[in-house]
Amino acid sequence: MTENKIQFILNNQLTELTFAENLNSTTTLLQYLRNNTPFKGVKEGCAEGDCGACTVVISEFIDNSFQYKAVDSCLIFLPMLHGLSVYTVEFIETLYSDQYHPVQEALIAHNGSQCGFCTPGFTMSMFALHQQDSQADRNKIEDALSGNLCRCTGYQSIIEACLSDVFKNKNQQIEVLEQEQKILLESINTKESIVIKNLNQEYFKCFKKEEALLYLDKYPDTLILNGSTDVSLAVTKRHEHLQRILDISSVNELKKLVLSDEWIKIGAGVSLEKLKNFSENRLPILFQNLTVFASKQIREMGTIGGNVGSSSPISDLLPVLMVLEAELKLQSIKSDRLVNINDYVLGYRKTLRNQNELITKIHIPVPKIGVIHQFYKVSKRKDMDISTLSAAFELKLNGILVENIKICFGGMDAVAIRVHLIENFLIGKTWERNNIEQAQLLLDDIFNPISDARSSAEFRMIAAKNLLLKFWSENIV
Amino acid sequence: MKNSISVLHDSIKKHVSGKSIFIDDILLNDNLLHARVVYSNVPHAKIKAIHTHNAKNLHGVHCVLTSKDIPGVNQMGPVIHDEVCLASDKVECIGQAVVLIAATTEKIAIEASKLITIDYEELESVLSLKDAINKNSLIGSVRSMNRGDIDLGKKQAKHHLIGQLETGAQEHWYLETQISLAVPSEDDEMLVYSSTQHPSETQAIVAEVLGINKNQITIETKRMGGAFGGKETQANWLAAWSSLLAFHCKKPVKLRLSRDDDQKITGKRHPFIFDYEVGYQSDGSLVYLNVIQHTDAGCATDLSFAILERAMLHNDNAYFIPHVHIEGRAYKTNLPSNTAFRGFGGPQGVACIEFILDQIARKLKIDSALVRKINFYEEDAKNVTHYGQKVEYNHLHKIYDQLIKSSDYFNRKKEIENFNNSNEFYKKGIALTPVKFGISFTTTHLNQAGALIHVYTDGSVLISHGGTEMGQGLHTKIAQIASMELGLSMDFIKVGATNTSKVANTSATAASSGTDLNGMAVKNALDQIKDRLIPLAKELLNTNDEIVFENNYVGILSNKAKKIEFKKLIQEAYLKRMHLSASGFYQTPDIGWDKIKGWGKPFNYFTYGMCVSEVQLDVLTGYVKVLRTDILHDCGKSINPNIDIGQIQGAYIQGLGWCTTEECKYDSKGRLLNYSPDTYKIPSIQDIPLDFRVELLKEVDNPLAIRKSKAVAEPPFMYGLSTWLAIKDAISSIKNHQVEPEFKIPATHETILLSIDKLKNEI
Ligand SMILES: Cc1cc2nc3c(=O)[nH]c(=O)nc-3n(C[C@H](O)[C@H](O)[C@H](O)COP(=O)(O)OP(=O)(O)OC[C@H]3O[C@@H](n4cnc5c(N)ncnc54)[C@H](O)[C@@H]3O)c2cc1C
Ligand code: FES
Ligand code: FES
Repeated sequence: MTENKIQFILNNQLTELTFAENLNSTTTLLQYLRNNTPFKGVKEGCAEGDCGACTVVISEFIDNSFQYKAVDSCLIFLPMLHGLSVYTVEFIETLYSDQYHPVQEALIAHNGSQCGFCTPGFTMSMFALHQQDSQADRNKIEDALSGNLCRCTGYQSIIEACLSDVFKNKNQQIEVLEQEQKILLESINTKESIVIKNLNQEYFKCFKKEEALLYLDKYPDTLILNGSTDVSLAVTKRHEHLQRILDISSVNELKKLVLSDEWIKIGAGVSLEKLKNFSENRLPILFQNLTVFASKQIREMGTIGGNVGSSSPISDLLPVLMVLEAELKLQSIKSDRLVNINDYVLGYRKTLRNQNELITKIHIPVPKIGVIHQFYKVSKRKDMDISTLSAAFELKLNGILVENIKICFGGMDAVAIRVHLIENFLIGKTWERNNIEQAQLLLDDIFNPISDARSSAEFRMIAAKNLLLKFWSENIV
Repeated sequence: MKNSISVLHDSIKKHVSGKSIFIDDILLNDNLLHARVVYSNVPHAKIKAIHTHNAKNLHGVHCVLTSKDIPGVNQMGPVIHDEVCLASDKVECIGQAVVLIAATTEKIAIEASKLITIDYEELESVLSLKDAINKNSLIGSVRSMNRGDIDLGKKQAKHHLIGQLETGAQEHWYLETQISLAVPSEDDEMLVYSSTQHPSETQAIVAEVLGINKNQITIETKRMGGAFGGKETQANWLAAWSSLLAFHCKKPVKLRLSRDDDQKITGKRHPFIFDYEVGYQSDGSLVYLNVIQHTDAGCATDLSFAILERAMLHNDNAYFIPHVHIEGRAYKTNLPSNTAFRGFGGPQGVACIEFILDQIARKLKIDSALVRKINFYEEDAKNVTHYGQKVEYNHLHKIYDQLIKSSDYFNRKKEIENFNNSNEFYKKGIALTPVKFGISFTTTHLNQAGALIHVYTDGSVLISHGGTEMGQGLHTKIAQIASMELGLSMDFIKVGATNTSKVANTSATAASSGTDLNGMAVKNALDQIKDRLIPLAKELLNTNDEIVFENNYVGILSNKAKKIEFKKLIQEAYLKRMHLSASGFYQTPDIGWDKIKGWGKPFNYFTYGMCVSEVQLDVLTGYVKVLRTDILHDCGKSINPNIDIGQIQGAYIQGLGWCTTEECKYDSKGRLLNYSPDTYKIPSIQDIPLDFRVELLKEVDNPLAIRKSKAVAEPPFMYGLSTWLAIKDAISSIKNHQVEPEFKIPATHETILLSIDKLKNEI
């Protein structure tokens, strides 16, 4: 076991950090960069993952190639970086001797910056996209930049910069860099677990599932940390002191995605972005869902395990997983069990999970042919917004008759809820508007929604009813 | 000479590479302390006791201050002294500062702030504009503007309409939150790096709070990470608080608000309620307008009256209205003091009349663009506003004709009608809205500016002026002006950080006037230097011909070969002991405004433009997609078209945010619910129009401003209203435009669905 030390690569320099007085295990990458390094191009606009001013790029050597992702440095605790490579805006121009990086050149040429505070973040999101995709169209560009807010430009000039063929423009220098990176990364020990004991806090980072389960068994009150997009807010926004953390973000066993004839088995550590790409052609409802899930930066870090694990009332995946009848694998050092997601969620942030259990996998049955799926999210802004309410549907028709239907609403109650009353009402009925209109009325009996910062109860009820009609209208036989 | 084009923003290369230094990036040694503000969590209360003991004892805390520790005056009110620096005996809103802390790290300062307790005795509070209207809690006297005779108008008009419009608050959401870094020096000297739009006022407030002369205080502003009016007066707070801490600790103190604190404690765009009564003829032409404008000033006056005044001055927008009576009422509430925000009340006033014309068009079943056109100010008659200013150089008709054509308005209108007839769950809408915006501070004495120019012996030029750079490209335009005036390439010219010790007694960079005022002051200084150089050039070139400054040379028109390098000329001038610095000054001529009478010529000139937006509405979710936006805007003879177009695009999207997704809700205790970007939604990249076309109006030199250009920052904000009314048009199509939909600003998905629901239930 390594103690109080981590290693990662920062702008192509091997960096070793020792945790002491001024460096906590819950110090964020953003805080570290701004306070302890000369790399102050990275900016803090919100410290909660909403603005992207703090965007940096992380690269990782996976399956024989380097993968680059733009992430919000304000949500990342330093030990999560062990064994990874980080790039900040200061670095990318050094790849070119006589000019800026093509994404920077494009921003300059198209006036893609005014006050400049958001610009390093945009630059890094564009750099990641440049590494990922040379064919990016407007949709992909918007998707890659929806986690970057700009209050000055109105984005048009930034879109024009991105559409100027900038992503096609590749350079050889990156291959040289990757060779160096490989050697540097291989020098870092990513087998032995790390424990950081500092300032009344214990942070345990492991690389094997077994170690995680053992630790959890020994300290059941541990806070599990996966992608940290939810957990980190406790520190950056609420200034809480987290006493004991189990970091599973580097456990590769939890990042597997396996497809069989009957099941899609998703490791709890699979990132939402990876899942999105995987589901595009295989599970369209999940793709629909993840397309409007937070931003690319959040999805690169955030995991399916974390979304289910937080089991928050506005978790976007829950309604989908509930109509799909997904099963969760809950594992402890002594036993494991599979539970249906519909039984798993008990109440507001309350679940069936025992404290010593880890969610290790989510199993989704492969959808049957002829079954229709649909997910709707209602939010103030299309992207990068938490649901005001959401609904997921599964429908099997037999001619004009409803053979089976599953409906789940999120945001209408303390937890996502399957509306069995409506499901039962519709089963056996004809798939016609008047039946849907009657079903709409049943919602009044089921829900008593709340008013909050996002909307009023009245709105939630109207929108919920409308979603039933919307689903019908888009699937008229 | 031509106004040069396509010069880059002077910082853009630094921006994209992370090299631009913002205040939070300034390197200081380990002496730097970090500050935190402890503010009230109740809207209105007497302070019984403030317990700071535990915080003071925390290791790493350097000082904990309350109002008792203010050596000067406990005041920060910019216009009226009704705003304390730190609350002493009472608090008047949630977010009002009570205690200041400085500690060795931000973390310790946060820990310390948790240890402060304040005992309150709560008082009754006013927590919304409606509540304020009911309680008539006016914060100052009622203003009015009058022209013609409403009673006569009532007799003349064929149709009459009575209604109400609400417009909401808007959070500035500059990406860089409010920040100030105060560095004490010997005696009482203090250098304050402040993210402020108004360094001179910041200097004045710091001096007053510290009880020392202004000449001890230097404010420096290199650049802001966005401001939009939010740093016009309220940046003063941070500067005063950090200076107060630095004064007591004798160490540099940085105070940067967290995003949540920034959203909770600073003011917003003023919410308005308009109660209106209007008369019109069957062709849509307006006869009279009788309006009461109510606005929520918040707990202090700040700039509320200037903002209310501008709302009243823009209630006509682009339209001639024979009989007008406008009453303006600003109320005190127990919410943070609302403040300047791009447009400064203008957008609210414009929203009111555009809302009215939209209704008139629906009632008369005439296309709303035509109703607008018939009411536009004319050139020879119908050309005087309701406050007595003549509308000169009027481009409204020209812009209308061009935009109607280039946007293919009427054909698209037809296509939309077809679409709507064959779709139940998706509806489209379209609207054209114009803007006519008055350029100048309506507080006349503010229309002045200063500049200081040094020419060094290598021929390089350093410009200091009173304006501040917040991303709008002011420094770039100023450098271009100098480059054009001196015939010198841009690499010889540098615009330095705004600094109160270089140029004194400046006005805020606001009211879109930055380039107009400071550009003229810079020109004035350059003219002085040129006037000194010209005789020398004539002597050296041995000529009596007219001297020109061109391509880094000074020469004569008739003989291109006869010239001397600018640099060379400067060296000669130096040897001749010539003064190579100059301070320039400018005051806008020929304006004057009687606030009390509401009559005069408040503006130097008007800026014009129009916007057509088309939207698609998902009737079942309230989700709106902007399909296409066409803008045609008058920038005079633009100094930098790229920068101007960037301003227009950005302003439109900001206006779109105000009109659609940006909403501030408060609970019954006066707590802001949308205090973070988690629930407060400014437009993101996917909210912009799919097809977004911005053009500058051609061949419209403006004789009244620097190099025939026009101010740009604020006017295009109002184009957001065309999208807002396009949404209303889409909603209205659900009932075939027979029923007037309920509507307000912002048209969130909630506003929209509730409006649709109401329409559907109407028989
Ligand atoms: C800006 C922003 C936008 C967001 N937008 C959305 C959105 O649109 N929709 C949405 O649903 N969510 C959203 N979220 C919330 C969050 O990103 C997601 O819930 C994400 O899936 C969390 O995953 P994570 O891996 O980051 O979780 P973490 O933060 O690591 O963990 C979240 C919780 O799950 C627990 N946990 C994690 N892994 C396991 C495991 N294997 N077993 C047991 N418990 C576990 C943790 O202990 C913690 O309580 C947003 C968050 C941010 C900051
Ligand atoms: S600072 Fe806003 S996303 Fe990190
Ligand atoms: S350029 Fe100012 S926020 Fe983007």
